[in-house]
Amino acid sequence: MSTTASEVQGRSLWGDAWQQLRRSRLALACLWIIGLYGVAALFGEGQYLYYHWQDRAAPYNATHLDLQYQAPALAHPCGTDGLGRDVGIRLLQGARIAFQVGIVTSLIAIPIGVILGCLAGYFGGRTDDVIVWLFSTFAAIPGLLFIFAIAMVVGKGLLGIYLGIGLTTWVNLCRLIRAEVMKHKARPYVQAARALGLSHARIIFRHILPNVFHIVIVTFTLRFSYAIGTEVFMSFLGIGVQGEPSWGLMMSNARLRLWYGVWWEMAFSTLAIFVIVLAFNLLGDALRDALDPRLRTREG
Amino acid sequence: MLRFIIRRVWQMIPTVFGVILITFVLFNVVGGSPATMTLGKHVSPRALEEFDEQRGFNKPLFFGGWAKTRALAAETFAQNAGAWRSGGEFIAHSGLRLTNAVTVPLAFPLQATNTYRLTLTYRLTEGAEAVFHGVEPQTLAFSKTWKTVALDFRTGAQPTATDLVVRVTGGALDLRAVQLQRGMRNPFDSQLAFYLGQLAHLDFGVSSSLNQPVSTLLKQGVGPSLMLMFPILLGEELFAIVLALGCAFYRNSLLDRSLVVIAVALMSINYLAWIVGGQFVLGQKLGWFPVWGFESWTYLVLPVIIGIISGLGGNLRFYRTIMLDEMYKDYIRTAIAKGVSKSGVLFKHVLKNAMIPIVTNVVIALPFLYTGNFLLENFFGIPGLGYLGINAINSADVDVVRALVFIGAVLFVVANLVTDLLYAWLDPRVRLE
Repeated sequence: MSTTASEVQGRSLWGDAWQQLRRSRLALACLWIIGLYGVAALFGEGQYLYYHWQDRAAPYNATHLDLQYQAPALAHPCGTDGLGRDVGIRLLQGARIAFQVGIVTSLIAIPIGVILGCLAGYFGGRTDDVIVWLFSTFAAIPGLLFIFAIAMVVGKGLLGIYLGIGLTTWVNLCRLIRAEVMKHKARPYVQAARALGLSHARIIFRHILPNVFHIVIVTFTLRFSYAIGTEVFMSFLGIGVQGEPSWGLMMSNARLRLWYGVWWEMAFSTLAIFVIVLAFNLLGDALRDALDPRLRTREG
Repeated sequence: MLRFIIRRVWQMIPTVFGVILITFVLFNVVGGSPATMTLGKHVSPRALEEFDEQRGFNKPLFFGGWAKTRALAAETFAQNAGAWRSGGEFIAHSGLRLTNAVTVPLAFPLQATNTYRLTLTYRLTEGAEAVFHGVEPQTLAFSKTWKTVALDFRTGAQPTATDLVVRVTGGALDLRAVQLQRGMRNPFDSQLAFYLGQLAHLDFGVSSSLNQPVSTLLKQGVGPSLMLMFPILLGEELFAIVLALGCAFYRNSLLDRSLVVIAVALMSINYLAWIVGGQFVLGQKLGWFPVWGFESWTYLVLPVIIGIISGLGGNLRFYRTIMLDEMYKDYIRTAIAKGVSKSGVLFKHVLKNAMIPIVTNVVIALPFLYTGNFLLENFFGIPGLGYLGINAINSADVDVVRALVFIGAVLFVVANLVTDLLYAWLDPRVRLE
């Protein structure tokens, strides 16, 4: 039977990690939260695309000057802002932008980090020297300032955020992958693959990379929350998203109203950010525990 | 030890060079034209050229005999006659038709006694003849109908904007492309050389929005930044270390577990939430602290508290891991086994051995004392370097941002060097490697 076969084979690292993750209620809750935000982001994206395609004013931008500053009630569960726009609907759009930023910056940073890390770790020598030089140079430049400077050069808006965060956050991943690949290079399975005459690319990407991929997963989770937080900063400071309902912009709009007792926009956007960032941070920790067997045995 | 120091300083050089290269690539190559970025698009070419001249942006990037000039915009006459409107007649798909003497529409007089190169792509109708400013044209390329020529000429002692004239006689000349370049006296006189020269003189340029030398602005800003950041660093590290020792002492107890949860929660609260909430509750509602300005030490209390709280979570977790790492080592087990008291183990053994990562963490944080904190300084009106930085980014003040990036990076490299030297001093094993 298949069950006995899998028992004989033992569980893979991923299967094992999944079992561990499932046992932790906190991690599961985080997964659910992230899933819900994901659905909200998808809904926001659909809404955005629909109204963009129809060329109509979207409900999240529709102003109702007679409905300014409505406190949370049944009609507007999260209240309305200074232009009578529903805060709840705008928060969903904010989720869309947050996920876009998280995903696009990961798509920029992770390939750079993985490829450079693999090359440096595997080939060593001159290649390693150049890549180490590159990442130590990038690491030397103060992070937030570097991101802001890139955004300034590229221009205000989402593209600046993507490139700013994406091009500066590959360094840590690259460093970790490089160290791990260096260790794996000396292992017998790599030597066997080399003795079989496999190409370097095949050895790196088919044999070594799957064994170090857990680093990528953990890094992805943790950098997602960093990306979301940074986008909020940038939009708040006026060098980020322009004209779209990002959480940072909402906080920035709500900040001055807070003094007049309009607490809901501020409270709900802060809460939205807090919950998703917390979920990603906790999930990242849980994943690290589940995927890194060395930590597990030690902390017991 | 001396050999170690020398080797380590030597290793620093490539990184500093890399930082120079990255700032150069970012602001000069990718940034394109800082002049339009700073002054906007609706400024006269002359103002832009003066901006570039002052900052060396009108030179070739790395190397080259010819540089661009804004005196005459490069035209291909694909859509309209551009600046040549008054001189000739625009014909679609053919270019600009010139029939008699036409003054080249320079936006401002060229530099005195300098070489210039005017590159023209044109064709002449049957029997037509053209004289270009009395210069013999060098043919660069020609096809069946179009001919590209380069006209090299030298400007006089007092050039004017109407110096260049193209005379066409006996027919018409169809102009399809035109470009004007400025000759460089020294081909190595490039933007990179200019930038390196500036750095060699520790000259960081001039702020375009504040019209002051960047070095003056930096000197003014560093004081407030230090006054804000030093107490934050001190408080953050002190609280984090004490709490981490507590966690290690009572590990796996309720205190430890709840502190871990609190640390993650603290890390997840956005800086902005602390600032807005702190200003609102402690500043506005309770009226304990002023929320804007920089007049006495009371103005710093709230930002320092917020800075400490928002950095505490990450540091606490970091130090707890380090202390626990140390707790599982063999020598600790031995110490416990031979009957050393728990506090003795903690303060004598664990803390002493955890000093290395602590020192690293503190020294690496030192450069940030200097660069300040963007958010705190902006929302509390503290005139430090973070405040300067955000304003510079918002007004696209290239020189200020570049100087901040460069200095921040160099300080980081130096801090790294200092940690390594401290390592070698604290831990003799490092020296032997």
